[in-house]
Amino acid sequence: MKVMSRFLRYSLLFNKSVFQTTAVRGASNFRKPNVIVKVDQLAEVKGTFFKNRSELTNLEWQNLKDLLIKNYKHINRNNVDAIIVGICNESAQLTLAKSYLSHLRANGVEPNDATLGKLLRIYNSVYHARGGNEDCLTLEEQNEILEIYRNIRRKHEVLDSLSCENLILGLVGTTHWRDGLELMEMMKLTAAPSLPVLNEMTMKAFKMQDIELGWKLLHQMLDERKQPKCEVFLTYLDIIAKDLKTLPGELDKFFIFLKTHDVVITTKTANAINELASKHHKLFSCTLTNLKRQGKCGSCGLHLENVSLSDVDFHRLQDVFLEKVLIRKDVFQKSTPEELKRFTEYIERTGPYDCVIDGLNVAYSMGSKKPPQALANLLASVVKYFKNRNKHVLVLGRNHMNKWPQKAMQYVKNNAAVFLANDLSQDDPFMLYATLKSGQTTDFFSRDFMRQHAHLLGPDLKLIFRRWQQEHQYSLITQTETGKILVKEPIRYLICAHKVQDHWHIPYKQEYEQHVPDSFEIPEHWMCIKINK
Amino acid sequence: MLKILTRVYGKGSAIRPYVRTSAYIFRQCSNWESGIEKSVVTSKEFKNPFAQKTTTATENDHVESPALLSLNEKERRLKVLQLEVDIANQEGRRVPSLDFFNDEHWETVLTLPSKSARMKYYGFLWQVEMKKQAKQRKKEERAVATQERLDKLREERENNEHIIYGLGHVSMFLRIYDSTINHWMNHRLIRAMQFSPKLVLDCSYDEYMTKREAENAAKQLMLCFADNRSHDDPFDLHYCNVNLNTPCMQKLQRYIPTMLNIDFPMNVHQKCFTEIFPKENIVYLTPHCRTDLVEYNHDDVYVVGAMVDTVNNEPLSLAKAKRLGLRMARLPLDNYLQWGAGSGKSLTLNQMIKILLDLKQTGDWMTALRHVPRRKLLDTQMESDRTKRFLTKRANQFTVHLDRVMKEDESEERPNVRSHKKNMEFNLSTWGSKRKQNQRS
Repeated sequence: MKVMSRFLRYSLLFNKSVFQTTAVRGASNFRKPNVIVKVDQLAEVKGTFFKNRSELTNLEWQNLKDLLIKNYKHINRNNVDAIIVGICNESAQLTLAKSYLSHLRANGVEPNDATLGKLLRIYNSVYHARGGNEDCLTLEEQNEILEIYRNIRRKHEVLDSLSCENLILGLVGTTHWRDGLELMEMMKLTAAPSLPVLNEMTMKAFKMQDIELGWKLLHQMLDERKQPKCEVFLTYLDIIAKDLKTLPGELDKFFIFLKTHDVVITTKTANAINELASKHHKLFSCTLTNLKRQGKCGSCGLHLENVSLSDVDFHRLQDVFLEKVLIRKDVFQKSTPEELKRFTEYIERTGPYDCVIDGLNVAYSMGSKKPPQALANLLASVVKYFKNRNKHVLVLGRNHMNKWPQKAMQYVKNNAAVFLANDLSQDDPFMLYATLKSGQTTDFFSRDFMRQHAHLLGPDLKLIFRRWQQEHQYSLITQTETGKILVKEPIRYLICAHKVQDHWHIPYKQEYEQHVPDSFEIPEHWMCIKINK
Repeated sequence: MLKILTRVYGKGSAIRPYVRTSAYIFRQCSNWESGIEKSVVTSKEFKNPFAQKTTTATENDHVESPALLSLNEKERRLKVLQLEVDIANQEGRRVPSLDFFNDEHWETVLTLPSKSARMKYYGFLWQVEMKKQAKQRKKEERAVATQERLDKLREERENNEHIIYGLGHVSMFLRIYDSTINHWMNHRLIRAMQFSPKLVLDCSYDEYMTKREAENAAKQLMLCFADNRSHDDPFDLHYCNVNLNTPCMQKLQRYIPTMLNIDFPMNVHQKCFTEIFPKENIVYLTPHCRTDLVEYNHDDVYVVGAMVDTVNNEPLSLAKAKRLGLRMARLPLDNYLQWGAGSGKSLTLNQMIKILLDLKQTGDWMTALRHVPRRKLLDTQMESDRTKRFLTKRANQFTVHLDRVMKEDESEERPNVRSHKKNMEFNLSTWGSKRKQNQRS
C-alpha cells in the first residue's frame, strides 16, 4: 500500500511532464478535424435536373451521366445507370425513369439487372401512392413488370437476395404476386428474407384476403425477430372490418398474436382499433387509458395479471445457468473450480434465501469514489431494509470487502449470510445462480441490467430469463441525505398484451422501432378492450 | 539512412572484422541452442497441452466447413453470391467489381455466416480496390514526372566533364549494405540471448481470434521482433506455444520467411513457457488482473499474451495465468497517464514490447509509457483552454442577458457601444486616475 501511494503522488507530480514529452514527440496535439457533413449532392442533382420535368432529352441524359461520373469518385460507367434510376425514386418520377431507360435503349444499351431492379422499386412506390389496390397499376404497367421479372428469371437459374428483393417489390403490384413466395424461398439460400420483403408480402396477402398466408408470414417475421410495420396491422384491420360476423373472433386472434410474440403496437394502429370500436360499439368497446399503481387498469379497475414462469421453464433456466454463464468453456475466466465448489457447498448449507444482494453493486451505486465507510453503511442499510421485513438474505461480495470498516461489516455478517468471492472473480453470475437455486419466490437486489449474462444464455432462454428478471429484480434508486434508502420494487405484473377476465389490455407506444430495446419500463399508454360475445 | 551511415562511420574501420566475429559467435550460438534446447520447432517429441488444443480446434474447423456444403451445393452458392456481388456493384454500393475477386476472397465469402457479414467484407474489399486504383493512378503520374527529371539529369551529365562526388558516386565512404546492418543487429540479438533478461510472447490464443485479428496479431508479432532487434538493449525474445499451422503463424512466416532458419536469431518454441523457465520467476502481464507492476524486476520473466482482442473481450490471459498458478501484473497505466474518453486502454503487442524495453533500460515509467499512443490520452492543455473558452463565452452571454433584464424599461434606446467614456472629455492631468477624481468629487 505504501509503495502504491508513493507512486500515486509521484504520478501527480509528474503528470505535467508526460505532456511535455509528448510535445517533444511531435505527433501529440493531433486531433481529427470535425468531418464536415456533405449535403447530399445527389439530391441537388435531383433538384436541378428533374424538377418539374417528366422526361429529358437524350443530350441532357448524356450530360447528366458524364457530370456524375466526372464529379463523383465512386460513380463509374458500370453503376451510373442504376444510380440515376435510383435518384428518381419518387412515385411521380416514374416517367423520368422510363425516359432514361428509353434513352439507354436508343443508344443500343440494354439496361442491366440492377437498373431494372431500381425501376421495379419505383413501381412499388407508385403502387402504394395510388392506394395499393389490386388494379391501381394499369395492365400495361403490370405487363412491363412481369416482363422484367421473366427476363431476369430466364437469365439466371438462382437469384441473389438483392435481386429477389427488387423483384418481389415489383411483383406485389401485379396479379402474379404469389411468385414472390418462390423468390422468398430462393432468398433463404444466401440470406434471411429482409424486412421490406416480409412487410410487403404480408400486406399483399392480407389485402388479397389470403388471411392464412398473411398470418404465416407474420409469424415467420416474428420468429426472425423482425418487427412488422404498422401498415401491415392497418391492412389487416381494414380487411377484417369488412365482415362483421367474424370481426370479434379475428380481433381476438390478433390480440393473442400480440401476446405470444410480445409485440407492442404503435399509436397509429391503436387509433385505428379505437375508431373501429366507435363504429361497431355493439361488438366491442375500447378505451385508451393509463395504468394506476400496482398494475391497476384505469378503465376497468382490474389488476393486470402476474408474471409467472412455468415450472418447466424455470427449471430449465436453473439447470443450465451455471454451465452457460459462469463456467462456459473455461471456469478460470470468471472463477476457479475450488471457489465454485466452495460456493455451491455454501448455498447448500445456508440456503434457500428470500433475497440475494449484490453487495458491491449496492455499495457502489451511489458513486464509486466514496470512502469505504460510506460504502459499507449503504450496504448495511440495504440489509436492514430486508431484515425489517423478516427476510433471510444472502450478500455476495469480493474478498476485499473484508477491509471495510468492521462495525458495518459486522452488522451485515450478523444479519445476513455472506459469501465473498475471490477478488479476480465475477460476482454477478454467483448472485443470479444463488437466486435461481433458492426457488421461484426468491428475488435479487442489483442495479445491473444483466445484459451480458442474458446474452450468454442464447436467444431462447434469454426471453425466459428476462421475464424472470423483471419479476424478481429489486434495485436501489437512491439514498436520501438522512440515510434512508429508496428501493425500486420488481414489476410483478405482465407488461405485454394480455387478457384479464374478459378485458384485453394492450400497451402501445408512440413510434415504430425496428429493434426493440429490452428494458423493463412500464409502457405509458394502454388500451382496455372488451369484446362482447 | 543518413543516421545509420554516420553512426557506423563513427566506428570506422572496425566494421569488417566486427561483422565477421558476429557471424562466428552466431554460428556457435545457434549450435549451442539447437544442442541444448530441443524444443526448437524442428523437434516434435514434446507434447504441449496448449499447442495441442489449438491444433485440434483448427483442424476440426477446417474439416467441418467444407463437409457442411457438398461440392455441388458450394458451386451453386458461389454462383448466387457472384450474382449478389455483381448486382450490388451495379447498384453503386460499396462492393468491388466482379473481376477484383480472386479465389481466396471467394473462399472467405463462403465461410461468412450472414448477409451483413458479407456486406462488411465487401466494403473492406471495396476500400482495398479503391486504394489500389488510386495507387495505380498516382504511380502513372509519378512515372511521367520521374522520366522528365531523369531526362533533364542525363542531359546535364552529358554536358558535365568533371567527376561527380556524393553518395552513389565518387565518395570516401564505403557503402554499407542493408545486410551488413542486419548482421550487426542480429549480432546484438545473439549477445542478448546470452546476457539479457528473457521476454515471452505467448502465442496460444489463435482459436479465440477471428482471421482478421490473427493476421493483425501476426503483423504485430513481426513488429515486436523488429522493434526489439533495433533497440539498443534488446530482450531475449521467446515465442512460446507456437503452432505453425494457425493462421497467425502462417502469416508471420510470410512476414519473416527466414524465421525458422537455424541461423536466424528468433526463438520459436512449441513448448509452453512454464517448461522453459522456472515457474516462480514468471510474471504474466494481463490487463484483467488487479495488481500493478510497480518496478521492473530483471530476474523475472515477463509473459505477454499474443492476442488481438477487438471482438472477443473475455479475460483469456487472466484465466490462463490463474490456471497455471502464475504471478500476474498489469501496467500501472492509470497511475501515470490521464486517459481521454473514447478509445480504450488497449495497446498493441509491439507497443507493449517497446514499453518493456524502455522500462528495462531506464527503470522509469515516464520514459517507458511514452509509447502509449498520444491520441488515447487527455490533452490537458487543450482541454483547459477549451473549458476556459467555453466559460468565458457563457459568462459573456450571461452578462448580456443580465444587462437586458436590468434595463428592461429603457431597453429601446440602449446603445450597443459601451457608453461610459462617450461624453468624457480628455484631460491629460486626470487621465488614467479615475479613482482619484471620484474621491475628489
